[in-house]
Amino acid sequence: MLSELEACLTRINAVLLGKEAQVRLAVTCLLARGHLLLEDLPGMGKTTLSHTLARVMGLAFQRIQFTSDLLPGDILGTSVFDRDSGRFVFHPGPIFAELVLADEINRATPKSQSALLEAMEEGQVTIEGATRPLPDPFFVIATQNPANQGGTFALPESQLDRFLMRLSLGYPAREAEKALLMGGTRRDALAHIEPLLDHTRLHEIQAEVARVRVSDALADYVLRLVEATRTQPQFAWGLSPRGSLALLAAARAWAFLDGRDYVIPEDVQAVLPAVVGHRLRERADPTGLGGGTLVQWLLREVPPL
Amino acid sequence: MSRFSRHRDRWLDKRIPRAKSVVLSQRSIFILPTRMGVAFLIVLGLILLAAINYQNSLAYAMCFLLGSVYAVAILHTWRNLAGLRLQSGRTHPIFAGEQAHPWVRLESRSRAHQAVALGWQRAAMTLDDVPARGACEIELALQSERRGWLRPERLRVESRFPLGLFVAWSWVDLDIAVLVYPRPLEGEAPTVQGGEGDEEGARVVGVGADDYRGLVAWQRGDSLQRLHWKAYSRGRGLLVKDFAALAGSDLLLSFDALGGDPEARLSLLCHLVLAASDAQQRFTLQLPGRTLGPGEGAEHQERCLQALALHGAPAERAAA
Amino acid sequence: MSLLTIPRETLVWLMVAQVLVILPHLAHLPLWIVALWLGCGLWRVRIYRMQASYPPGWLKGLAMLVVGAGVYLSHDGLVGLDAGVTLLIAAFILKLVEMRSRRDAVVVIFLGFFAVATSYLFEDGLLAGLFSLLPILALLAAMIGLQQSRLFGRPWPAVRLAGGLLLQAVPLMLVLFVFFPRVGPLWSLPQAQTRGTTGLAEEMAPGDIAELSQSGELAFRASFSGELPPRAALYWRALTFEQFDGRRWARGPSSHVMRAPAWTPQGAPLDYSVVMQPSGQPWLFALDVPELPGGEAQLMGDFHLQRSRPVEAALMYRVRSWPAAVRQPRLPQSVARAGLQLPAQGNPRSRAWAAELKATHPTPQAVVEALLRHFNQAPYVYTLKPPPVGEDIVDGFLFDTRRGFCIHYAGAMTFVLRAAGIPSRVVVGYQGGELNEAGNYVSVRQLDAHAWVEYWLAGRGWVRVDPTFQVAPERIEQGLVEAVPEERALFDDSAIALLRYRDIGWLNDLRLKWEGINYGWQRWVLGYQGDEQLALIQRWFGSVDYRALGAGVVGALAIGMAVLALVLFKPWRNVRDRQREGYARFEQALARHGVRRQPGEGPRAFGERAAQRLPERAEAILAFVRQYEAQRYAGQTADSVALDRALRRVCRQLRWRAARSRGE
Repeated sequence: MLSELEACLTRINAVLLGKEAQVRLAVTCLLARGHLLLEDLPGMGKTTLSHTLARVMGLAFQRIQFTSDLLPGDILGTSVFDRDSGRFVFHPGPIFAELVLADEINRATPKSQSALLEAMEEGQVTIEGATRPLPDPFFVIATQNPANQGGTFALPESQLDRFLMRLSLGYPAREAEKALLMGGTRRDALAHIEPLLDHTRLHEIQAEVARVRVSDALADYVLRLVEATRTQPQFAWGLSPRGSLALLAAARAWAFLDGRDYVIPEDVQAVLPAVVGHRLRERADPTGLGGGTLVQWLLREVPPL
Repeated sequence: MSRFSRHRDRWLDKRIPRAKSVVLSQRSIFILPTRMGVAFLIVLGLILLAAINYQNSLAYAMCFLLGSVYAVAILHTWRNLAGLRLQSGRTHPIFAGEQAHPWVRLESRSRAHQAVALGWQRAAMTLDDVPARGACEIELALQSERRGWLRPERLRVESRFPLGLFVAWSWVDLDIAVLVYPRPLEGEAPTVQGGEGDEEGARVVGVGADDYRGLVAWQRGDSLQRLHWKAYSRGRGLLVKDFAALAGSDLLLSFDALGGDPEARLSLLCHLVLAASDAQQRFTLQLPGRTLGPGEGAEHQERCLQALALHGAPAERAAA
Repeated sequence: MSLLTIPRETLVWLMVAQVLVILPHLAHLPLWIVALWLGCGLWRVRIYRMQASYPPGWLKGLAMLVVGAGVYLSHDGLVGLDAGVTLLIAAFILKLVEMRSRRDAVVVIFLGFFAVATSYLFEDGLLAGLFSLLPILALLAAMIGLQQSRLFGRPWPAVRLAGGLLLQAVPLMLVLFVFFPRVGPLWSLPQAQTRGTTGLAEEMAPGDIAELSQSGELAFRASFSGELPPRAALYWRALTFEQFDGRRWARGPSSHVMRAPAWTPQGAPLDYSVVMQPSGQPWLFALDVPELPGGEAQLMGDFHLQRSRPVEAALMYRVRSWPAAVRQPRLPQSVARAGLQLPAQGNPRSRAWAAELKATHPTPQAVVEALLRHFNQAPYVYTLKPPPVGEDIVDGFLFDTRRGFCIHYAGAMTFVLRAAGIPSRVVVGYQGGELNEAGNYVSVRQLDAHAWVEYWLAGRGWVRVDPTFQVAPERIEQGLVEAVPEERALFDDSAIALLRYRDIGWLNDLRLKWEGINYGWQRWVLGYQGDEQLALIQRWFGSVDYRALGAGVVGALAIGMAVLALVLFKPWRNVRDRQREGYARFEQALARHGVRRQPGEGPRAFGERAAQRLPERAEAILAFVRQYEAQRYAGQTADSVALDRALRRVCRQLRWRAARSRGE
């Protein structure tokens, strides 16, 4: 099981050069049944990462490009009158896929955003009174552009909380970029990737991840972290219980990727920046979610023992 | 007395080191009978005398029963503090002369802790209950006098529960530190403008409501009140009027430009910083050896106030 | 913390405690106290409901004056136990009304405790003792209420906690009760006047003992270590009456002699212990001839036992009696004179009869036998309602009415014997008692009070003789109630209740069981004083002195507290932290070599860093970290031994490295 995952990582890293840490976190996020928010400038490989993940994991892939005129129906699907049968027939939207890439999510209006986010949260879609389940696994990678641009709708805190992790790919290292320049087009490479898993296998792995042991001492560490965010003055607000659950789920997946069936404090620390960074805000910084220094503080000050 | 308290503090520093979160254990809890406890013993002594002189077994028994209750009360009072976790919470910065309200979170890890009192002095303690496996928060009051970091003395936590015969207490240092800004002092600023000209200093700083900037395409979420209906009727599509906030010229607040006693200058600067922020004006703060800005907004204001508060103080700790 | 206001809980429990404290005192308090109590209670409730204000200063002063005057009038003075207790209760009542601050409440609570203690001086039965736990509980609950942070808490948690405290205190209390050295009274104190009024008195007219005989109240209980002697042999001596003034019998000179006359033990002794109800009199009860190993009392010149102080509380003493002993074989002149004392004149017929008997019978023994025959054969009637007789009571009884009670027979016989020149005296005490077979003891009640005669014979000493036996043998063999079946109406309530139960089998069993419990209480709890304590402890531990005892008490208390602390703190619940401690020692060991853990550094990260810094010891360090991780995070059962072993390995290697680097 672990070797399969290692192989997946290797294969993704072969396409997305020099981003081992982020790739590992993205896979962790997938294993923990969470959704991923990629925040980066255009052209940093967000789409490539999503594509590669979908292919390697053998997941059905759909991409939704969010624009300001995107309607909820464009995401979820609509019923169309069918002349032949004389009935309304439901045409499922792009959300009915196992891996959905929601590109530039902050371009769309809050209404469309919330249609996606509700579907993410509930794992099902209710259209015209009928409830339709989404496929399982269901994994959303949303990307957003961090630069302050006109005509965007930043996701509010309550919506950000629904993403298990927020990652930023960042510029590639010099060596990696050179390799990128010298190599062929990545789209070609993508087309040749063979899936290593399928969704039943992924299911099994996810179930295994949920069984990773969390000891009392470790739960106490997570609680200490959460309490620190709730009591220390520099935090504008504390982590929600959903946040602490997310932290533990991600730590479990990380431990599993590391080949362990129990979580140790280092696992929590490894996923902490990605999991809590977008859920925290510094009190002295009323704009934006500059959780970075706060996360560093947590890692530095909260005793893990 | 002061030498005694210095000795005591040094001893306590070793025994109960400063920490944001302290769990009271046998090392940190002290216990002694209260005045009421001593009076209780005297009453027991009288009952014992009666028992001896009247050779009355029941009076003996009652004396021993109450004596045993007295002994058991030691354990109960001690237990009422043992295992209690104290944690200092966030404290907002204040201006000199104001009262800070740091709060302390009391948390139980197992049983309930009833009637735990907390305070800086014995005279003014706040009493509260900590539920089993729960927590309570106590807000304390702390008078500030000077700018800078306000570090209160050790905090006394005590309990006389259940019978009031004993008082168990501890002195903890929860590393409470309140940043105290200088006391704002009303006064006129010498008009020193940053930059050269007036118009150059004025810059568009983002979407606002001050200045009409032109027409842009409507996007979902734009206010309908700003729709340019005339343009729409002419078939030019949906357009909105775009406004921009216009900042005034930058203000330079300089320590050196002011006269008088340094503390008074800091106080005046504090007032000016607040005034400039209220007016949403960009400003630069110049302190000897340090320049902040130009900038605006709450964050800039906070940085400036912090610099004023800690001006001249040794770099004691990173900004909280 | 508001120091001024009294929480509602405390107030509620103080009111409850007041009722519970005062109830047992009601029997000996003057009635006006009840009125004061009701008035003050109402006032307090009205204050609480904000319908009335606190009493003004002048009213408090006035109340104190009135109470002082009331006590003075009710008890003829302000000193004495009864007056003191009344004052105490009055203070308790008044203080509750004017109580405002928490400190006042503490004073009220302490007054309450003291009032409970004084109630034992009046009533120390098992039920009273158990009942007194209630006011103690209420007072403790009031104390707890004072400490609570809420002003309007619910009253039940406080009383539950108080009950828990009491329960936890019981083992320590038992240790103290058993081992705390019991010393004698330090100084004498006024005694309660309201108890010990029934019972035998210093002097008696014939009617007195009859009155006494109508009460079913308990006088004492005696439990025998061997077989119970037959009922007819149980003559419990209390006093002798040697002085007769024509109407009343009173104690004579030999009963004040502080030295026992010569006597020789004979036959088999009887060993028994007596638990006596408080009598208010200094004499004890025993079978002839008693020896007291405990030395509680002195055997007096007339073979009765006398203590220096009256018996004011239940008293237990052990006795060895020699029923067949020869007492005072040689009679001193003074005793003989006292044994022959008669009034100068009166009762001429009796005197004449005595002279006739003396003339017709050769020996004193024959005179006695003739007398007894006379009582047996002549138509004498045993009754509790003797008819009135004239000026010469002996003559009137012997020759006219011929109806009387034991004191009449004993008095008359003694008179005749003395008139016939035989030294003799009236003995009063109790005869018989109710056998409780379950507990092998005898309960002797006031209705068992009896009077009999002893006369002196040269060579045989004092001989006991009971004329009542000749008239009503069932009185001796069965008891008074059987002797006078038609006079039941005379008995008081307690005696009647006793009679009624006797007829219903199971109820009687129940009564006897309850008696047994009470007896145990008196014997083992109330009677547990100095000598009893030493005897018990010597039985358990061999001979001990007070110093060893003190050390033992302190040790037992320390152990008790330690056990209680264990129960309260449950240290075994903290096993988990052994691992944390182990890791702390690991950190200390590494810190000595300059590798310190950062506050936010995880256990594995630190271990790896340390392994890098100390590459030669990497294996031991990583082994310890693996062990720690396995126990703390991987759910392996906590095994402090394995962890310690891994830790010791690290420490050993580090020490070696340190030694080597020093050597270099």
